[in-house]
Amino acid sequence: MKSFIYSFESEWLKKKRSLGSWLVIVGAFFTPVIIIIARLIRHTTLEGIYEKDNFWRSLWHSSWESMAIFLLPMGVIMATSLITQLEYKNNTWKQLHTLPLSYTTIFFSKLLVIVVMVLQFFILFNIGIYLSAVIPYMLVSGVHYPAANIPFAEILKEDLLFFIDCLPIIALQYLISLQFKNFLLPIGIGFGLWMGSISALSWKFGYLIPYTYSMLNFLKDGNKAATPGINIHYLAIGYFIIFTIVSYWLYVRKNEKG
Amino acid sequence: MISLQTNHLFHSFSENLPVLNDINLDVKAGSIYGFLGPNGAGKTTTLRLVLGLLRKQKGEILLFGKPFEKNRVDILRNIGSLIESPSIYGHLTAVENLALLQKIYRCPKERIEEVLKLAGISGTGNKKASQFSLGMKQRLSIAIALLHSPSLLILDEPTNGLDPNGMIEIRELLLKLNRELGITIIISSHLLGEIEKLVTHVGVINKGSMMFQGTMSELKSKQKESLYISFDTSDNKKAMQVISSANQKVDDNKIVIPSLSKKEIAKIIQELVNNDIEIYEVSPGRNDLEAIFMNLINN
Repeated sequence: MKSFIYSFESEWLKKKRSLGSWLVIVGAFFTPVIIIIARLIRHTTLEGIYEKDNFWRSLWHSSWESMAIFLLPMGVIMATSLITQLEYKNNTWKQLHTLPLSYTTIFFSKLLVIVVMVLQFFILFNIGIYLSAVIPYMLVSGVHYPAANIPFAEILKEDLLFFIDCLPIIALQYLISLQFKNFLLPIGIGFGLWMGSISALSWKFGYLIPYTYSMLNFLKDGNKAATPGINIHYLAIGYFIIFTIVSYWLYVRKNEKG
Repeated sequence: MISLQTNHLFHSFSENLPVLNDINLDVKAGSIYGFLGPNGAGKTTTLRLVLGLLRKQKGEILLFGKPFEKNRVDILRNIGSLIESPSIYGHLTAVENLALLQKIYRCPKERIEEVLKLAGISGTGNKKASQFSLGMKQRLSIAIALLHSPSLLILDEPTNGLDPNGMIEIRELLLKLNRELGITIIISSHLLGEIEKLVTHVGVINKGSMMFQGTMSELKSKQKESLYISFDTSDNKKAMQVISSANQKVDDNKIVIPSLSKKEIAKIIQELVNNDIEIYEVSPGRNDLEAIFMNLINN
């Protein structure tokens, strides 16, 4: 267990200043910054908006709109591939595999770093949503702090579901990125699956595509996507477990490790 | 005690093309083992197998007397390695590159500065490793290999990319590590001249097979065996009849005779002159270690 913690610490340090870690920060604050700019441009309408009872729900919903469909799946595809490909890019698999660490430790500590990065993204995104409410209130005179209470429980529950919905993307991108040296391959496959997912949203079996879940979760109350007959979150966990097992098996069985 | 032993190691990347054929390495603890061979001879493949970077197909690998596969993690705790090109994270500084390994080896943090100084790369500050020259990257890789004070260093062509001064510095560092700390070193190279002053033992590999393995003095005794004198004469055919030595042969239009004393040479010259044969040149053959190495490879 100790070696797992040490390995995780090492992997966490490895992502410092990497493109993947910047992507988490930029991706998390992208939508909130757009919302802040839009609200500052339309500052005359803010007073009414901030007084509404559903202020937080409405802000949360508009923040997640582009996130659930576009930025979250794309960001997870990019971040997972970038972090995993660090070893290929720097020619460091051979160094990593000559450290006194078991293959299991290496595999799971790297995967955990990606999962924690996605959690970090969720935290930063929620901070960003909050700031997108507070900054216009601080800058525009006459606007009062939102009267409505923040629905913490609801936000936490939805965040958790979105997080679960990302897990199959993480696991599959991790599997592909571990297998191929060429960075464009995992990114290309990921984008292909993401585009396929968008096209399949209205298809009754679209939920079988493992990249659809954050989209389906966001669109669950509307009529833009077919309603899955089963709980997609359980399906996401199932896919995550299957992809992780296959990925681990392929990784351990690899003939050349650097 | 043996640090590394391989028994009947075979490897092939495709079915009918073996790249290693019955490799039996024997590296004694405390030695500096020069693993020599031309490019593509199988040096890197052997070292990658030894470190577990390639899945073993046939044969046995013992490190510190233990089978590698069953004791991989324990064995790797005592090995520092540098395989081929530098293996470093370009977006991190030299200190950060070492810090992430220090977390795994759990060695004291002060060790980072120590090995940077040892490898001659301290004071690079916030400069990212991607901005380093090839020589600096190579030095950082050596620092990485030394970080956890290993008892066995496996270095695959560690002086690649270093200027002559840098090569000498690294050689001196390796000698110091071996003499003062007793670290066993396996160093591969395609140039004997580069490591002949450094190593105590030599293994020569060519086309996947071991051509020689022994101490440096054993290799030097081969040097004595290969002493020869060549005679350039006006009539080689007649000259060979006059000399009538069993070991003589014609090579490059010259008569070549092995192991002759000064008196024997003088006698041959006299006989040739007495038989009206003109002598244009009498010269000793090239018999330095490089020539022996080339000879082993060519054979």
